[in-house]
This record gives sequence, structure tokens and C-alpha cells, in this order.
Amino acid sequence: MNKEQQSIIPKRKKEKNRSGFVMLSVVGCMYLLTFYFNPQAGQESLLAAFKILKMIIPILLVVFFLMALLHTFIDSKSISKHIGEQSGVRGWVIALVGGILSHGPAYVWYPMISDLRNHGARDGLIVAFFYTRSIKLPWLPLMVSYFGLAFTVVLTVLVILSAWIQGLIVDKFTALLEE
Amino acid sequence: MPMLLSVIALAGLFETLVTPEMIQSVFKGSLVEDTLIGTGIGAVSVGQPFLSYVIGGELLDEGVSLYAVTAFILSFVTLGVIQVPLEWSLFGTRFTLLRNSLSFIFAFLIAISTVYIVGLLS
Repeated sequence: MNKEQQSIIPKRKKEKNRSGFVMLSVVGCMYLLTFYFNPQAGQESLLAAFKILKMIIPILLVVFFLMALLHTFIDSKSISKHIGEQSGVRGWVIALVGGILSHGPAYVWYPMISDLRNHGARDGLIVAFFYTRSIKLPWLPLMVSYFGLAFTVVLTVLVILSAWIQGLIVDKFTALLEE
Repeated sequence: MPMLLSVIALAGLFETLVTPEMIQSVFKGSLVEDTLIGTGIGAVSVGQPFLSYVIGGELLDEGVSLYAVTAFILSFVTLGVIQVPLEWSLFGTRFTLLRNSLSFIFAFLIAISTVYIVGLLS
């Protein structure tokens, strides 16, 4: 890593931290306004937020554990081999199946996926991963009961297919921009 | 971490302030328009994925088209207005714009294709 790159990274990190605090302040103001105009809604919102936090803590722990493993045992070379430029069919399978199997809200996965991206994971595969996350295996029986088996099967197949197509579009677009 | 906490706090706020009744009231009866509205409403809605099926079922009972309901349940998970700031800060403007635009377009296209194919099968 050259000096120029080294000086850019802390600067970007500072900007990210700052935007996080700005966003937190904006959301804090929104809560204050809600509490001012409708205290009950404010209280319910706060309770709902704590419920969400409680629900995602186990998933966050898994994500942080995976990130630690990633930093300790997996290098950029092997990431590049499995989900990088030359990953081929294996990369698509990892992204599509990984998206289907991953649990919790998408934003919980953002730090880990962004880490993988910094180590060479392809944008197209990341987009495909995020799209197949709309297939929620534990909730499929409920979807069948509401909308029928045919609907659930067709929707699931189309989501997988379109996740792949979106990944291809993103890869093509990225390649065009980099040329 | 502050950005993640902001998203969680925003999710709590949206879950309370955006009610199923509000969602029902915005549909107009036009197929294309309702499918687009379904996509947009799904994008700003927050909650467990099963909630989108429950709300979707209620919308169907209220006479909203299956096209709009399909677009709604798809964008409920694939799009998320409240998580855009976090996505933008970690992945950058180009990635965030591209991914969200594609998710929006494909929610619309998949909704149309799903209902069409299910219609052919039944």
C-alpha cells in the first residue's frame, strides 16, 4: 500500500464516522419531534426499536464473529478466488445460496459484505446476494398459505433468476465504467 | 455503529408511524399505477418479512390487485429507504444507486411476470 492510499483510508473512515453521528442526530431529532407531538407514538417507536435491537443482536454477533474469522484466516487471494473477478459459476452459487440462507435484516450484513468487497468480492455477486435475501425459507409455508403453492414457487424461481440477471448487469456496468 | 443504531431507531419509528391502514389507503385501482405504488410502499415499509404477507393478504381482501401485492412483498425485503444511508456510507453512491434502481425495476417486472405465469398455470 502506498503513502497516498494510506492517507486516504483514515480520512474516509473519519467521514463515515461523521456521517453516522450526523444521521444519529437527525434520527434523535425525529424522535424528539415525535415525543413532542405524540408522546405515545414516541414511546411505541422507542419500544419497537429496542425490540428490533434485541432481535438482531444474535445475528450481529454471528456477523462480527464471521468478520473476525475473515480477518484472521481468509486472505484477499482466496476471497478473490471464490467470489472475485475469476470466481465463475462457484461465485454465483455462493452468492445466490448465501443470500437465501442468510437471516435477519439486510443492514446487519452490510459491514461484513462491505469488508468482503474491500478484499476483492465482485459487485455483481454482492447485488445477487442481497436480492436472493428476499427468499425467506422459514416463512415460505406462510407465503404458501396466503398466496398458494404455484405463486410461491414461481416467485421464488423468478427471484433467483432475476438476482443472477441483476448481478450480470452490475458486472457489465462496472466493467464499462472501468474501461 | 452510530449508522447502524440510526437505522434501527428509524425502523422503530417507521414501524409505529406507517400503519397497514395508511398503506391500504394509497392504492387507486389502476394496475400499473398500483404495482408502482406497491413497490414504493414496500420500499418505505419496515418489519419482519412475514408482516408483508399478512399486509399483502389484507390488501388482496380489500380488492388491491395481486400485481401490486406481489410488488409490495418483494420490495418490502429488497428495498429499504431507511437503510440507504448505511448502504451509501459503506458501499458508495454508485453501488447504492445501481442496486436500489435495479431492485425497484425488478420488483415491478417480477410482479407482472409472476402473476402472468401463475395465471397461465391455473
